[in-house]
Amino acid sequence: MSKPETPLLDELEKGRWPSFVKDLKQAAKKNPMARDLIHQLELSYKDRIGHWKHGGIVGVKGYGAGVIGRYSDRPDLFPNVQAFHTLRVNHPTGWFYKTDALRKLCDVWDKHGSGLTNMHGSTGDAILLGTTTDHLQPCFNDLSDAGFDLGGSGSALRTPSACVGPARCEWACIDSLDICYNITMTYQDQIHRPMFPYKFKIKVSACPNDCVASIARSDFSIIGTWKDDIQVDQKEVLAYASSINIQKEVCDLCPTRCMEWNGKELKIYNDDCTRCMHCINLMPKALRPGKEKGASILVGGKAPIVKGALLSWVVVPFIKLEPPYDELKNLIERIQDWWDENGKSRERLGELITRLGMRVFLKAVGLPAVPQMVKAPRTNPYVFFWPEDIQKEVK
Amino acid sequence: MSEELKKRIAELFHEKSKGDKKMFYIRDVTKWLPDEDRHAVQNAVKELLDEEVLKYWSSGSSTYLILAEFFPKE
Ligand code: HEM
Ligand code: HEM
Ligand code: SF4
Ligand code: SF4
Repeated sequence: MSKPETPLLDELEKGRWPSFVKDLKQAAKKNPMARDLIHQLELSYKDRIGHWKHGGIVGVKGYGAGVIGRYSDRPDLFPNVQAFHTLRVNHPTGWFYKTDALRKLCDVWDKHGSGLTNMHGSTGDAILLGTTTDHLQPCFNDLSDAGFDLGGSGSALRTPSACVGPARCEWACIDSLDICYNITMTYQDQIHRPMFPYKFKIKVSACPNDCVASIARSDFSIIGTWKDDIQVDQKEVLAYASSINIQKEVCDLCPTRCMEWNGKELKIYNDDCTRCMHCINLMPKALRPGKEKGASILVGGKAPIVKGALLSWVVVPFIKLEPPYDELKNLIERIQDWWDENGKSRERLGELITRLGMRVFLKAVGLPAVPQMVKAPRTNPYVFFWPEDIQKEVK
Repeated sequence: MSEELKKRIAELFHEKSKGDKKMFYIRDVTKWLPDEDRHAVQNAVKELLDEEVLKYWSSGSSTYLILAEFFPKE
């Protein structure tokens, strides 16, 4: 037997889980880019350094986003990945494809690129990995003909994304799909022509389970919720009592301890419920979100780079969301405008709010301070108040 | 008005690009023109991009602006 060509990568195939190495090898059988990619990666493992050079190129005619330029720093060894650009394709909202649409997407990519995809990236987009500069425009044209468009990258509004919501999920409190689609169509210019200090992400989850993790991954999180009481079917609660320990598994794990179970009836003190979804997730037949549905708006979430990770912070505890979503879009625009005016280059919204203070943010975008905004009550109880407001109270 | 602003922005790009630094953030450009409306500057920059006087340059995570003549060849 001949010596293995990629001994280090081969190690990754030995674990318990399917390995991307196996997929790469499969792709390498028919695509020379995929072949060079494997060997460059093997060299990276050996040298303990990435062999990619950062970008430059950003898109196709009229676009400043959607293409991420990458070049090999060893084109002498790997000529087929000399240019290996990524295309971000705006995914259908909720990631619903008909099979013919998926086939078309794959056909375009087999024609113009390495055939390798990442379905889907953490931005939400369908990621097409690896093509050359001269293929970008023709590939984009073919994608357009198949009904697809590029997503956001760089200092742009990134491709908005949403959970499957009312299409598949009984817990949906808002139409996450329609909201996301509406926002995407309204802000095409912000997605395709970056003009912000840095990236801006909007994600929509239709209930507090937050399946798109909007609270951790978006500057502007829209999370479905309800205002009235959790709907309870006592008969079904009793039925659950035979299969789960309601006291231990439901009541004792309620974060605000706002439930009581006497063996016959479940009582919920809804004023203290923080809509964590725990009880509903555990007893879906017995409990449902309330009837008065809407969303909470949170801002400032982001991943670690530059200044550390932040979770989004509630700024609107409850808002009704119905088309055409003018109030929502107006709020988005006020917030973006304040950030665009005050943010430094590469400063995310959450970092700007931390730097200038929540009360400055609230005043600028015209939102009232309310108790639901208090993140850690004892750290500084005076954070929300302006001297003139205190004066008003004193009188 | 907008033609006038575009001309000034293009001139500023030439002036600021004399050294080694050729790439700028949009925030740099709005700061060069503190008396101009930020949105007007952004719109003028968009037109300069359409006319290919300026080009976008992106690392993937952040976006810069550069005079087309200085856009790096591969
Ligand atoms: C018998 C005497 C005292 C009692 C029973 C007392 C009790 C308390 C209590 C219950 C709190 C609220 C703590 C919380 O909510 O986390 C508090 C806060 C505070 N106390 Fe006292 N206190 C006493 C004396 C003093 C003295 C002598 C000072 C200053 C020289 C003082 C300064 C403060 C300050 C600055 C806070 C605010 C802390 C914060 O905002 O987290 N206290 N006190
Ligand atoms: C150069 C001297 C001082 C510096 C630099 C200083 C700095 C600070 C800072 C940065 C905070 C936190 C504020 C916040 O979280 O918003 C603080 C809180 C506090 N300081 Fe000082 N401090 C000084 C002297 C003093 C003195 C002499 C006293 C009392 C006699 C004092 C009492 C307090 C109290 C009670 C708090 C808590 C306030 C609250 O919980 O809202 N500090 N200080
Ligand atoms: S976030 Fe809620 S509504 Fe959306 S898919 Fe998850 S559980 Fe269902
Ligand atoms: S949703 Fe969460 S906080 Fe509300 S009652 Fe159920 S477990 Fe408690």
